[in-house]
Amino acid sequence: MTTHQANICFLRVILALGLITLLTACVTATVEEMVFNEPTEGIGEASVVILGRRHASDYDTEPEFVQCVADHIASRDEAIKVIGELEFINALYPWFEPRTAPLHPRDIERLLKQQPVAQKMLEFKIEYMIWIDGSTERTSSAGSMACGIGPGGAGCFGFGTWGDEANYEATIWDFTDRAEVGRISANASGQSYMPAIIVPIPIIAPVHGTACDGIGDQLLEFLSSNY
Amino acid sequence: MSGLMISAASTKIPIGAWPKAVTSVLLVLFLNACGVNQVVVEGKFPTPLMTALPLTIGVWYPDEFRGHEFTGMAKNPRESSWIVKTGEAQIQMWDVLLGGMFQRFEQMRAAPQPDVLNQAVDAVLIPHVAELQYAIPTQTHVKVYEIWMRYRFELVTVEGEPIAEWTMTAYGKTPSAFLQSDTKAVNLAAVMALRDAGANFVTGFTRVPELNNWLNGKQRRAQGVRP
Repeated sequence: MTTHQANICFLRVILALGLITLLTACVTATVEEMVFNEPTEGIGEASVVILGRRHASDYDTEPEFVQCVADHIASRDEAIKVIGELEFINALYPWFEPRTAPLHPRDIERLLKQQPVAQKMLEFKIEYMIWIDGSTERTSSAGSMACGIGPGGAGCFGFGTWGDEANYEATIWDFTDRAEVGRISANASGQSYMPAIIVPIPIIAPVHGTACDGIGDQLLEFLSSNY
Repeated sequence: MSGLMISAASTKIPIGAWPKAVTSVLLVLFLNACGVNQVVVEGKFPTPLMTALPLTIGVWYPDEFRGHEFTGMAKNPRESSWIVKTGEAQIQMWDVLLGGMFQRFEQMRAAPQPDVLNQAVDAVLIPHVAELQYAIPTQTHVKVYEIWMRYRFELVTVEGEPIAEWTMTAYGKTPSAFLQSDTKAVNLAAVMALRDAGANFVTGFTRVPELNNWLNGKQRRAQGVRP
């Protein structure tokens, strides 16, 4: 094989890999919003904390999803300071653990009666506390795939498919007024496929990412003066 | 709903090598069937954010608490057995928690009993892990790893006379995540359970009736009020 042929071969492999990564399955998403008292000038010097609800028995809001929403907001409007979930719950331990976390805005009042907690909240300059509750579940899976290896090479043959469904709800608390000022829900579902003819080709439905973007965009509209 | 199945076909093996190959496969199957997952729980535990109680508390960790571990034997060949060592993490968490919860905190030199030279403290706390249960998704078919613990606490004088005895539960769970190993998830669930133990201890300490009476008695004595 000449250098030219090797280069063409290499380019084909890169092109094929690029094509594979571009293949994504369809996702159906619904985002609903109900907000009051939007800040007209943005939140200024104040900050926002996004926390996951983890008191249900059969699921946990994934920390990765909470981080995804936080990154979505922080990357699109740098003026909004989003406090990291772990940083916040560690700094306020043990008052935001699943057992002790406030379930209603009025519970904040009870927390702030403790001087060290009130002081820490002041340091963080919290204006909005956003609670995300939900999870992404695998709804179905089917198919089979067989892979083999021999002296002549290796390969797979078969077909697999699975469905995912994401249901999340974000509740916005106004920290100053100790009141709930909005709810945003995002539901997304999609079917992923993985045909394999020698090489498995994953065609993934980005259910998790779509739900994250949906909630992130709506929160941006609420929090940011630029959106 | 059928499960997505990926199976590997066999390699072409020379006839003379078959006995070795079969032995190897059987050995791998045997090792899988009898596999033991060992987790030494590791985590970082934050100091509680609270006004320290005006007490000098000593702690005595019994040997079984210092080296606490639990084992879960596999119930069928598809499951793995588990050894989860929580002792070191328990000590780490309780040291940090008690250090932040009380004005002074001492690790006792010896078990509290009469005629033993020990530090002068208001009371000595002796923690015990009375019971521990765990669940992983392969057992429960729920997408979370769970650990549940029941503690028994003794609060005694330096001479070993009982002041109070009470029990407390702690629960930790963590969602399964893509490419996350069982051992890592069990470690995270154990860390969550330890954090929950700390939260429950902080919020419930003054609610234990015997402790409440003892604390009130100390306060009255400090104010010079006769009972």
